[in-house]
Amino acid sequence: MSETVTELYTDADMERMRQKGKIWRRALCALAGAALAVCVSLALLAGTENALRMELAAVAVSTVAGWIVIYGVLFVVTPLRRELAHAAMLRTEERQRVEGEAAVTDERFTIRKSVAVRRVEVRREGEEPVRLLVCASRAGALAGASALYVCHGYVAAYEVSP
Amino acid sequence: MRVLKNIFSQLHTFVLWLLASALFWGWIFTFVTDTVPAKKVTVYCRVPAVEDTALAAALEQDMPEGLRMVQVHTFDYVMFGTDAFQRGDIFIVPASEDPEFVKDLLPVDGERVKAYDAATGQGIATDYIQYGDEDYYIYLGSGSVHLDDGAALAVARELLAMK
Repeated sequence: MSETVTELYTDADMERMRQKGKIWRRALCALAGAALAVCVSLALLAGTENALRMELAAVAVSTVAGWIVIYGVLFVVTPLRRELAHAAMLRTEERQRVEGEAAVTDERFTIRKSVAVRRVEVRREGEEPVRLLVCASRAGALAGASALYVCHGYVAAYEVSP
Repeated sequence: MRVLKNIFSQLHTFVLWLLASALFWGWIFTFVTDTVPAKKVTVYCRVPAVEDTALAAALEQDMPEGLRMVQVHTFDYVMFGTDAFQRGDIFIVPASEDPEFVKDLLPVDGERVKAYDAATGQGIATDYIQYGDEDYYIYLGSGSVHLDDGAALAVARELLAMK
């Protein structure tokens, strides 16, 4: 009976996350730059008669663009960067093997301020279940896992019996 | 749903950004739409209401050379700084308040010129200025920097031509 260890975060996953972060950062920078250019143009085009209209337009453009940038930074770029750091830790630090039937529970919360994780219980006959954590985005992969590789209480890899 | 939940979790940040944006661009536009006294003529009106932007734009259409803009303010604006009042170029004030201001003001063309006649309802720039129930007079500011170059007088004459 052969068992293969599957990493929760493969090299391809890490690269995909890096690329996604880079694309989002570039898009947000481009949006901020474009909004600034529009606002400066409005300021330069302002005259006595249209000053109020131009000012309101500049406030509207900078506010909406700023909101999008703030949202992107807080809820996309930063969580992605933190998940990447968390994944790098899982891939490099020492692991322990825990055998048993893994079951992902409904209990979920965030670590590192923005990385969503879920509770995993590894049940073994005659023993108390081992309580671990797994990144919410990877929790689905643990269905049917017969052994988990654990790093600081977080699932880093798993085995599935054929 | 998740987007809304995220937004509400950071609502204070979004509101703060809105305020910062309004304050910043307000400051920038004040800076952009203002200039030094030497390049503008300021008209102060002690009247119930004035369409300041429209009147300023109308006066700017035939502006004396060297000026960048004409500004029109109500007297409420003067409350923010007496310096603004002392540097004002043209004043439109009611007859009842004349003694209060006249010591700091100069007559246009050497004589006291009526800006609005309450008896006939005729006055200058009545499309832009809403006068009260009394006569109004137009003066030049004695502290105006445009007395020597004639710009204050030129804009005052332009106003008088708006009858």
